[in-house]
Amino acid sequence: MNREFSLIGRPTPYIDGLDKAMGRTRFVSDLVRPHMLHGAVLRSPHAHARILNIDPAKARALPGVRAVITFADTPGIKYGPRSEDWYILARDKALFHGHEVAAVAAVDLDTAARALELIEVEYEPLPAVIDPLEALEEGAPLVHPESGTNLAAEFKIESGEVDRSLDESHYVYQDRYYTNQVYQSYLEPMGALAQWDGQGRLELFAGTQIPNMMRMTYAKALGLAPDRIRVIVPDYGGAFGAKMEHNTHLIAALLAREADRPVRLFHSREEDFLAGNPRVPMYYDITLGLDKDGRLKAKDVTVTGAAGARLVYAQIIVATACYRVDSLYNFKHVRAKGLTAYTNTAPTSCFRGFGNSQGTFVLESALDMAARELRIDPAELRRINDLGPNSTSIHDWKINSNGLRECIDRATAAAGWEEKRRNKKPYKGIGLACCNHVSGNRPFAREFDGGAGIVRIGRDGRAKVFHGESDMGQGQKTVFALIAAERLGVPLEMVEVADVDTDMSPFGFGSFATRGTLMGGNGVLRAAENAFEQLAQVAADMLEANPLDLVCREGRWFVEGSPDTSLGWLEVTEEITLRRRGAPVVGTGFYEPPTVMPDPETKKGNISPAYPFACQVAQVEVDPETGQVKVVGFYAAHDVGRALNPLALEGQIQGGVAMGLGWTLTENMAYDPEGRLINNDFLDYVLPGFGDVPRIKPILVEPIEKEGPYGAKGIGEPALNPSMAAITNAIYDAVGVRVRELPVNPEKLLAEMEKLRKEKKGCVSGTQP
Amino acid sequence: MNNPAASAPQERHRVVLEITVNGRPERLEIEPRQTLLEVLRDGLGLMGAKEGCGSGKCGACTVLLEGRPINSCILLAVQAQGAEVTTIEGLAKNGRPHPLQQAFVDKGAIQCGFCTPGMILTAKALLDKNPDPGPEEIEEHLSGNLCRCTGYSKIVEAVLSAAEEMKGGRS
Amino acid sequence: MRISGFEYHAPASLDEALGILSHLGPEARPLAGGTDLIPQMKHGLRPGCLVWLGNLAELKGLTWNRDEVRIGALTLHADLAGDRELQSRLPVLARAISLIGSWQIRNTATLGGNLCNASPAADSAGPLMALGSSVVLAGPGGEEEMPLGLFFQGPGETALRPGQLLKEVKVPLPHGPSAGCYLKLMRKKAVDLALLGVAVQASADESGSRLRSLSIGLGGLAPTPIRAGKAEAVLAGLSLDQARKALDQAVDLACGEISPIDDVRATASYRRTVARVYLGRGLNTVLDRLAGKEGEGLS
Repeated sequence: MNREFSLIGRPTPYIDGLDKAMGRTRFVSDLVRPHMLHGAVLRSPHAHARILNIDPAKARALPGVRAVITFADTPGIKYGPRSEDWYILARDKALFHGHEVAAVAAVDLDTAARALELIEVEYEPLPAVIDPLEALEEGAPLVHPESGTNLAAEFKIESGEVDRSLDESHYVYQDRYYTNQVYQSYLEPMGALAQWDGQGRLELFAGTQIPNMMRMTYAKALGLAPDRIRVIVPDYGGAFGAKMEHNTHLIAALLAREADRPVRLFHSREEDFLAGNPRVPMYYDITLGLDKDGRLKAKDVTVTGAAGARLVYAQIIVATACYRVDSLYNFKHVRAKGLTAYTNTAPTSCFRGFGNSQGTFVLESALDMAARELRIDPAELRRINDLGPNSTSIHDWKINSNGLRECIDRATAAAGWEEKRRNKKPYKGIGLACCNHVSGNRPFAREFDGGAGIVRIGRDGRAKVFHGESDMGQGQKTVFALIAAERLGVPLEMVEVADVDTDMSPFGFGSFATRGTLMGGNGVLRAAENAFEQLAQVAADMLEANPLDLVCREGRWFVEGSPDTSLGWLEVTEEITLRRRGAPVVGTGFYEPPTVMPDPETKKGNISPAYPFACQVAQVEVDPETGQVKVVGFYAAHDVGRALNPLALEGQIQGGVAMGLGWTLTENMAYDPEGRLINNDFLDYVLPGFGDVPRIKPILVEPIEKEGPYGAKGIGEPALNPSMAAITNAIYDAVGVRVRELPVNPEKLLAEMEKLRKEKKGCVSGTQP
Repeated sequence: MNNPAASAPQERHRVVLEITVNGRPERLEIEPRQTLLEVLRDGLGLMGAKEGCGSGKCGACTVLLEGRPINSCILLAVQAQGAEVTTIEGLAKNGRPHPLQQAFVDKGAIQCGFCTPGMILTAKALLDKNPDPGPEEIEEHLSGNLCRCTGYSKIVEAVLSAAEEMKGGRS
Repeated sequence: MRISGFEYHAPASLDEALGILSHLGPEARPLAGGTDLIPQMKHGLRPGCLVWLGNLAELKGLTWNRDEVRIGALTLHADLAGDRELQSRLPVLARAISLIGSWQIRNTATLGGNLCNASPAADSAGPLMALGSSVVLAGPGGEEEMPLGLFFQGPGETALRPGQLLKEVKVPLPHGPSAGCYLKLMRKKAVDLALLGVAVQASADESGSRLRSLSIGLGGLAPTPIRAGKAEAVLAGLSLDQARKALDQAVDLACGEISPIDDVRATASYRRTVARVYLGRGLNTVLDRLAGKEGEGLS
């Protein structure tokens, strides 16, 4: 434990944990309002179909129905978070199985469900395209015919002399990988409670990661000024990237306006599978050149991702998959092309890792192959190419702290890497993978990046923190409370953290890009500093001291070095409130990161104030006869900057690894040839359960980050990024089969193992005299 | 019979449900088609049990029926006629959290918390059955409760720690 | 999805239940645990009436006789899986049932429900078939008994006639040295349907060195749970050592009797591959157990 802090660095239980344990927390889907109506959405049963006719008359006539809306009842404005290709309800075509076609609000869910059955829709099914490569072929069915192509976006980046460097490489690895479409599987499905006040102002209660950005997007969709919309974020049950802008929120809003009543509209689990925003599936072609000492020479990749039927953030995710890993190692020559294709599937979007998980899986698999070929220990190969701290990457990313080397050392040491590799046992394997990530992503946050906070302290001494990010369960409230309490010098119990409310909170960009702790935390830290300074003035007056000499520890003010003469926290808050005639202390502050918008041509520019790194080691056992894989050990070392709350960091790491394990081994969204999702439940979409996840050993590596609040960086996404390759590299170690397609299919693995056995036999007999 | 509106009158068919919830006798008029989860949440305002999937596959709706964990989202309330039901709201004694509730908080076994009530109730039923379970027994019994946040490690630790705590309390 | 309305009956006795069922006709569906029926109703199944059987105490529990155990159709899976006597005397069955669904499901679902759903992959079916069980059906015309193999007629189809209820399952008890084994292929460690299930049950003569009988029940490998009769015949009467040598042949024969399908869970070819592996492992395990190489009662 670090003695320079009273709170930072201790394992701290969530400040909202007990409410959750007692069943007292009101999650967003628990909210009720007097005279609230219940919404339901009619969805397309086809992956692609013309809507010939839609007749809501019978539904409208059903007693208990208060609103029925179709496209004709929407503003009809094209909108979208980045690319304006959305309508709130399908206009003349359904573009994916589950596409929102009409909606109702009724006095109860049963009436709403009956009303949906009474809406008559005549469809003319059209050929659907599911696979992004097929979508880009000549003659493929067009998802948006008006654009004349399914190519929704193209990204290019090039630095150095890739072709020459590949020619000069001692070893060139080339292969195609495929990373599949997986579903975030947060336990509380998406939805919202919407109500309009008498002045025509929308109040939207939603579990969202981006309340402020969402509000701007929704203002456009509804044809309103942003001030006409208030977004409130109560506690909600997980997101993992998925809970950004969504039509369902706006459907709730339109139903509420039409019915003039509060409307609650939440997906069923099946609907959430159909119309949530799952991970962008990608084909990933990689060419990687190294010299004989294992130094990386050049990388050339082409990524083809499926956006689904409308663009959420897929194009930025594909771009990220193209080049974020370039700053993990000391690359000199890289080139990438990213193609984002429209397809007739659920719109795909953010999922923990944001493209970097796909890029990391492929690069770290390729490096594993290179290590074998060059006969270099895979851990050593990474060390050789380590960028190190205080370095600048190929894309001009300014890396301050960099704990990659220590992560590699500690993860391999904990796992017994060298010993296990020396004493290799049949069908048992050990593998490792590394990753880098960001703590904030400048090109994703549009006008600016940064974080802000407000700390309000009233006469009773309680400090309330307002921020504009979003706690989806990752422990953000607790870490903000820790930062504020540490800076103010009060016990943690004196601090509470407000739910985000766009009427009250700073304009934060939200919780994505592993940015919450660093950006929001820095905002809260500066706000607390500002409040502290205001209080210190008065405390100094009362103690007849210089405010700059004052400290506050555990709620007592004193001159540094003379703790015997002190004032209680409440004495000071009481005094300042009286002097200010009741006005509370309101500290505000913001953090402006040293980032730049990358150059539009070269894409060079520092996109994040800090970069977390990690190394994970997996141990697996493969059943030689069934191809089933069991992960039996997992060691995850993460450079988190300073660990503000080790308990929560460990939880993030363990959760991220478990999620990566599920993706690697069992999770997959399966479509039939007509493009209908066939496994939209937790039976056939197979999530890892208790017995499937080994006890995961988290290791916290703490190089202090100068840009972080108290030196901290983020953890959310790096927790998962290396897990897939760590496991598949261990499978390679166990049975010699390279997994190029997620998830691992035991049948295919078995077939590959069989092939190798035959080759080996053939080889042995061939060399015998 | 396929016209949904035509089946409406039948749905008003009501029965009296008498159950004991968290030690308190309750008498409600319900429709036979209502699940126990609906009755607890909408009828009794006990929002601790959650609907995560609606089909008995995630365990978020777990409550104890005669002390045994069941999925209340796929149990008709009438199937609990006359029975004793325990929800997460009924675990605290005299306002003090149950040792499992405290251990889940202290060990970091809670993140978003949506699975937590069901998880804690299943764990309670296990500890009632076996006060001293090993990690494997915990995993086996809790495997009907999905958690997407924690990776399960800290949940197992929390149950072990609560078991320890409760043993201490008894001796 | 929401459940549509229905007429609800909660008879207090088997006679009353049968009376109600015959009075209501095919509109009525018996409801036991409901862990399969209720989700189906949430997805649009609309039976006109439900007849809840939960009050029929006479259909719950185990009755042990010298030669058989009779299991009431409404006995909960959890009560079976946790029954000490069942665990020690019919470990193959206790083990298989302990792998059904989750603890929550096992606390609600019943043995009768599992059998009446007639899923080809029902976990209880393979072991019960291997144990040579029969079922007792009660109906307006009285009771009738039939071998479990005849009860299953196809996926989701049983020999139950309208107005009939499954009353109990009779399981013959092995005498002398015996061993059983159930292997289930799942996509995760627990809480999954059986992609396939292999149940092997064997008895040896008093000396313990010769097979008196060996039976194989297979789930998820044919339109109904099946016995691998040809494989059984090859092994019957052999000494344990002879049986070991005949294992490959038995496995081949058993694999000739299966007809697995492709679905979202697994391909037919993978089911075939794993069936072969699990048959080999199951038979080996049972032979080992009979030979005392592994503690009996472990499955």
